[in-house]
Amino acid sequence: MFLALKEMKRSKVRFLLLMVAVALLVFLILFQQGISSALIRDFTGAIENQTAPVLVYSVDGQRVLQASVMTPELEAEVASVPGIAASGRLGVGTFTVTADGERVDATIIGYEQPELGAPSRLVAGRLPSARYEVVATEEDRSKGFDIGDTVTVEPGGRALTVVGLARQSQLNVVPTLFTAYNTYVDAVAARNPDARTPLPNVLALTPEAGLTPEVLAERINAVDLNLDALTRQQAADKTPGVSQVKQSFAVIFLLYGLVVPLVTGLFFLIVTFQKANSLTLLRAIGAPSSRLVRSLLVQVAIVLVGGLGIGILCDVAISQGQVGSLTLEFNPGAVVFWAVLLFVLGIISSLVAARRVLAIDPIAATTGAGVGR
Amino acid sequence: MSTTNVAVDLALRMEAVRKVYRVGDSEIVALDHADLTVAPGEIVALVGPSGSGKTTLCSIAGGILSATSGRVVVGGTDISDFSSKELTAFRQSTVGFVFQSVNLVPFLTARENLLVVDELGRRTGSAARKRADAILGELGIADRANNLPSQLSGGQRQRVAIGRALMNEPRLVLFDEPTSALDTKLGEQVMTVIRNEMKNRGIAAIVVTHDERNTRYCDRTVHIVDGRLEGTSSH
Repeated sequence: MFLALKEMKRSKVRFLLLMVAVALLVFLILFQQGISSALIRDFTGAIENQTAPVLVYSVDGQRVLQASVMTPELEAEVASVPGIAASGRLGVGTFTVTADGERVDATIIGYEQPELGAPSRLVAGRLPSARYEVVATEEDRSKGFDIGDTVTVEPGGRALTVVGLARQSQLNVVPTLFTAYNTYVDAVAARNPDARTPLPNVLALTPEAGLTPEVLAERINAVDLNLDALTRQQAADKTPGVSQVKQSFAVIFLLYGLVVPLVTGLFFLIVTFQKANSLTLLRAIGAPSSRLVRSLLVQVAIVLVGGLGIGILCDVAISQGQVGSLTLEFNPGAVVFWAVLLFVLGIISSLVAARRVLAIDPIAATTGAGVGR
Repeated sequence: MSTTNVAVDLALRMEAVRKVYRVGDSEIVALDHADLTVAPGEIVALVGPSGSGKTTLCSIAGGILSATSGRVVVGGTDISDFSSKELTAFRQSTVGFVFQSVNLVPFLTARENLLVVDELGRRTGSAARKRADAILGELGIADRANNLPSQLSGGQRQRVAIGRALMNEPRLVLFDEPTSALDTKLGEQVMTVIRNEMKNRGIAAIVVTHDERNTRYCDRTVHIVDGRLEGTSSH
């Protein structure tokens, strides 16, 4: 500790710069992790945070809620599958609505029963109990979607009253309204009076007691190739675009994950070369190699912990706000994961420098040559 | 660490010490059957041309290098068969070094350059701090205790190095060209300090030097040529 701390004290700027560099990279990782999570959450939150354990799409819909259409034949086939405790229709559509005087796009999701498609993360107000009542997404409350606000479907002028707010329940990153199925049908009719009664897009199911959602989904998929049954989480994860977004971010995270240990490892390798004479002298006067390596690792640990701490603090600060329409959220799990991973990788990367320290021959003190010469 | 107590009255005893380097198929004899004894408090000048084996002899005496054959006993401890780890501990506890070029840790102050010896050993804390302050005072650089090496003159740096070599209360101090980087006047001052400190403390020393003028500060001069100790003259 003596050598490690004394050196850091005398080279504050150098070590502080590295700490700041690590902090910046940590912040970028956590920030992008936040954006990635928020993007996927706002893209599929309505699927992930609704009450139905199993959703059945038509294969033609390619796992897009709005694109799926459940014909009466498909409905009948699903109903024939044993193990279904409850079944309900879901209707999903994108509408132009006026909220707070502004025309915006919004998704309306209609469900028949609260246990089969209603939002599961209601944070204020209540679920709709009367016609033309809706639950809006909490993230949009300041845009005319707060409790008591009236949202008007355009064209047609059907007025919907917000009676509750749900968290992280958007679909396709637009304001999302959950309502009773018949209200959804009315909204479709208001927009296009000539349209026929819409078919349900998806069926929402609950398995019987003792049956897992996975098994029920498998049973349904075995009935007809035109049926595509998925558990709630599968439906969210397999929404088109989600895996591509995750993969793109994974590549970015991989690069960052490599850069942090690379920067740390290179820095300490350069420092080790620069102070080669001192290390050689210390070895010559009786410093065990292990002591010098420990000193190096203490410095690496201090820099990494400092950098991680600053980076995490920056992330805490920025995750209180929004980036565009995305609401960021501090994710302790991701922070712990990245902190542990980057710390371990940083320590491992410094082992190259440690190897150089172990290679120091004290005889070099008599010739003036240091490590690596 | 295994020790064999022999010739306790001598600070250094080297018997038939030989050091051979292998380069490819050929052998280079750096030290050839060297016999040398140094009594406690005795200062021996080791004089010889470049490549004669001076530094090799010092390195073996100080436990930095191991001899190919022969026997090396320092302060009663036979280090001939010591492992690398044992030699490291031996250097830390028993010998002091003042090197020609690399002498101080640049990010430590003068005082800390002395205290680092304690940090590497058994850590005596306040006792070490008192000892460091006392040594710096004796060397006349107490007022520079908190200066970094870059803030010290060449002579002051050598004094700090001498102080560091004394911190572990060594049985033997090895000086490798201690005045080569100094002008004549500073060189004389440093040699005076070396002599005074060694004599006052009764510590044996070997001073490797090119400069014959330095030998007058020593009790005895040993000449070395092509790895062989050839002649001794007393002053």
